[in-house]
Order: sequence, then C-alpha cells, then structure tokens
Amino acid sequence: MPEPLLYAKDIHKSFGPVAALRGVTMAVGRGEVVGLLGDNGAGKSTLAKILVGLYRPDRGELYFEGRRVNFRSPRDARMHGIEIVYQDLALVEDLPIYRNLFLGREPRRALGMLDIEAMKREAEKLLREIGINVRRPDDIVRRLSGGERQAIAIARAVKFGAKLVILDEPTAALSVKETEFVLDYIGRLRDRGISVIFITHNIFHVYAVADRFVILEHGSKIADLEKRCVERPETIVDIIAQRLRPDQVGC
Amino acid sequence: MLPFFLLRYREFGVLISVLAIAGAFSALSPRFATLDTASSVLTITAEVGVVTIGVAFLMIAGEFDLSVGSVFAVSGTLLAYLVAMGVPEYAAAALVLSAAAAIGLANGLITIRTGIPSFIVTLGMALFLRGLLYAATGGFPVSYKGEVLPVVFAERVGDFRVSGIWFLAVAILFYFLLHRSVFGNWVYATGGNRHAAKAMGVEIERVKLVAFMLSALMAGLGGIMYVSRFKIVEPVVGLDLPLEAIAAAVIGGCSLMGGIGSIIGAALGAALVGMTRVGLVLVGAPAYWYITFIGIILIIAAIINTRLSRYA
Repeated sequence: MPEPLLYAKDIHKSFGPVAALRGVTMAVGRGEVVGLLGDNGAGKSTLAKILVGLYRPDRGELYFEGRRVNFRSPRDARMHGIEIVYQDLALVEDLPIYRNLFLGREPRRALGMLDIEAMKREAEKLLREIGINVRRPDDIVRRLSGGERQAIAIARAVKFGAKLVILDEPTAALSVKETEFVLDYIGRLRDRGISVIFITHNIFHVYAVADRFVILEHGSKIADLEKRCVERPETIVDIIAQRLRPDQVGC
Repeated sequence: MLPFFLLRYREFGVLISVLAIAGAFSALSPRFATLDTASSVLTITAEVGVVTIGVAFLMIAGEFDLSVGSVFAVSGTLLAYLVAMGVPEYAAAALVLSAAAAIGLANGLITIRTGIPSFIVTLGMALFLRGLLYAATGGFPVSYKGEVLPVVFAERVGDFRVSGIWFLAVAILFYFLLHRSVFGNWVYATGGNRHAAKAMGVEIERVKLVAFMLSALMAGLGGIMYVSRFKIVEPVVGLDLPLEAIAAAVIGGCSLMGGIGSIIGAALGAALVGMTRVGLVLVGAPAYWYITFIGIILIIAAIINTRLSRYA
C-alpha cells in the first residue's frame, strides 16, 4: 500500500473512568472512502473528534501526509486539510448561505470588514457546482432541505482545500432521494481525489460508495475490510451484531 | 433592496411600532410633534440607546447583561469622584471606561469559566456593584464638578444635545462591527449555533468576552453621558435600565436565544423607549405608568416579531 493520507496509530482516549477509545489504529488512503462503522458508543465520534483536533488523544500518534501531526484545535486540523461535517450542527440556521459558507474563513477587506460581494459571488458559483439551482446566496439556511444543507456543508469543506473530509452521519436525517443526492456528491468528490471518512451506523448507506470498512466496538477496532472482500452489506451487519467473526471474512 | 440581510422584516416590525406610538402621542398631545419634544426624545434615546446597543450586541452573541444599570451608575459616580479628586476630566473618563470594560471582562470570565448562565452572573454583579455604590456614597447623590465633559457629551447645539451625535456614532460603529465585519459574522454564529461556530474554528469564548466587555463599556459611556447632562448622580440611578435595555433590544427584533437581531432594530427600540417616556409626560400621565406601558409594548412587539420571523 502506498503511503496513506492519514495514519492514526494506537489512539487512546478516556473521559474520566470511561474509556472511549482503547488503542485504535487506522489508515485512510488518498481518494479513498472509508466507512467507519459501529454501534452507538463504539467510539466513532470520539475518534473523529480527535482526527479534527476537537479532542486530544491521551495516547497515540497521528500522521498526515507522512508527517507526525499534533492538532491543538479544529483550525489546526483544517490548516492541514482535514475537515469534519456534522449531521446537524454544521450550519448556523439563522444566517444566510453565503455567511455560512465562509464562517471562520471570511474574505476580508481593510479593517476586518467582510468582502460581502466576493462571498456572494463565490456562494453562487458553489451552489451551481453542487447542483442546487433553486437557491440564492442570501437565502437563510433554515429554509433549506436536509440534503441541501449536507451538500453545502460538504462543499464548503472541499472548497477550502480539505483533502480528507469526515462525514458524521451525513444521511441519518435524509429522505431516500436526498440520500442519493448526497451519496452521488461524495462519489464525485472521490473522483477528484478527495478522501472521505463516512461515519454511520447504516451500512446500507455507505456500502455503495465506500472502498473499505472499519468497524469499532467498545473503543476497539474489530474489523478493517476492503470492499472487495465483503460481498454483501449484510456481512458487515453480521459482524457488528457479532453473528460473524471478522476473521471469517477474507479474500 | 435594503443592504441588511434577514432583518428586513424584523426591523419593519419595530418601525411600525415606532410610527404607531408616535402617531398615538401626536394625536393625544399637540406638543408631541415638535422640535422641542424631538430633542427631549433624542436626549433620552441617546443614553438608553448606547446601553441598548451594547446589550443587543451581547444578546446576539447569546448572553445577557443585567449589570448594565449598576455599571451605568457606578461609572457616573466614579467619574464624579475622580474629577473631585483633581483627576483631569478626559483621564477620568478614560479610567471610568476602562473600569467598565474590566467589569465586563469579569462578567465574561466568570460566565465562561464556570458555565453559570450569564443571567445569574450579571445579576450577581449588578447587586454587588449596587451595594458597593450605596456603601461608598452613603446613599447620597454625588455632584459633578467638571466643566469639559458636560460640553463634550451633553452640550446643546441648537435645539438638540450633542449626546445624539454620540449615539449616532456608536450606532454606526456597531452597525459596521456587527453587520459588515468578520467579527460580526462570528458574533451571529456564536449566538446562533455555538457548536457550528466552534467547529468552524470560531473562538466563541473570545467572541463572548469581547461582547461582554462592549456591553459594559457602553453602559459606562451611558453613565458618563448621564452625569454630563445632570451634573449630579444618585446612587439609585439606572435601577430599571437593564430591563429597559433588554426590552428595547427585544422590541427591536433581538431574540432571547441569541443569533438574531440588528443594530438598527436596537436603536429603534431605544427610540421607542425614549418616545414613550417623553410622550407619557406630555399627555399628562403619571410617571408611574411608564414602566407599565413599556411592558405592554414589549409583549406586543415580541408577538409581532415572532409572527414576522416566519416570513423572514
């Protein structure tokens, strides 16, 4: 395997007496979509928050593009090119699209003033790129559908140079049609060489787009399978439900 | 098209209220629609308004400040004391504003470090400062001996007082800070969805700290404007001010939940408060009715704003 984009080695994290991660090691290749799976409380979100600098690991090492990294804040991680998109807390609902798109990275004029024209122009371009043609840059986010919000949040990450986008339950609250729209968009990102970690407990959503599946349980990795070794999504379900041991799956 | 985003309708609400109340007072008293009355209204609006703008800014960032009345009174009194001690007036004003900002910083630090709601922290600060003020003054008014600041902050220019210009300057400054600056975008995001803001790298603690400081700073400025006008300050001054300012901000379209509101709305809300105070006197209503009246307007305005926000 060529050098992975991201390599997380032996990551531990506890909250008081509760061990959320007990030594997880995983890698994400360039242009690879990895489905990060597991039940509630398996440690998926904690791992994601460590990868984007929201939490700091108690123990373990992170490598990004082959270099050891130590993220102190989400800003830090973002500067390296890792960005997370949350299911429902990605956007500020009462702000218009263009202000959300540039939140935290606003184009400036003199004296710390916003370059509102540039923001609106760019926002319009991005909306067209995603394929949302019915919205204007100054529409309030509250008026958008779940799929539109998700796509906008992902597009925002990529626009600002994310090489690895972490999606936290991106399809949990979406209708079937909206889910397809978002999955299609993720596929297009992979074609552009963007890596994606897709966190979900719905294997059926991630199966279509993922190249590999990493399964966590009680803070440990119990399986790391290439898509080609998994014939059907039901196999993953069986592993999570412990009806099947990971070593019984192979190729 | 108006240059303000999303506030188009919310400001429309307070504008209607302002016009309706101005119309009602004009119908009730022939002396309301005069230059003289406009001057009185602007004078009161200016003092309440600078405080309201600070409070509104903080509310949009998602926090409250109930200590603005005490900061207002402490600032006026401290200024009078310092000048009486022989401190040059500008230096005294600078010291007072620094002290006010420091109180805001304390409010902010306590709120952020402990996680106690700012409603409680600033209520405690309000009581603490008010008690200090009573103790320091023995409950007696303190008179202001300086002659420079009354000119700078309260001199009459024609029919109007110069405080109106200060109010306008503060409103314009805050307008640009909130609606046009990068920091303003962070303020909205912090109040609207702090998780999203934080995830996008906005340092929400710092944003809130600055907003707390600005709120206290504006209360301090209001206190300086007040003592410049009356040249005397009673230790009970500004007891109703925190609720007046919050009421004016809400009338102007600010949400109690944060993330929504505007400077123009807050300024109009303050104008409505000023108009009501002067108008009730003109129509011969006993002074006690003022707060009652503000209460009614507040509830009506809140209902209108909630209705309007559905169309925003």
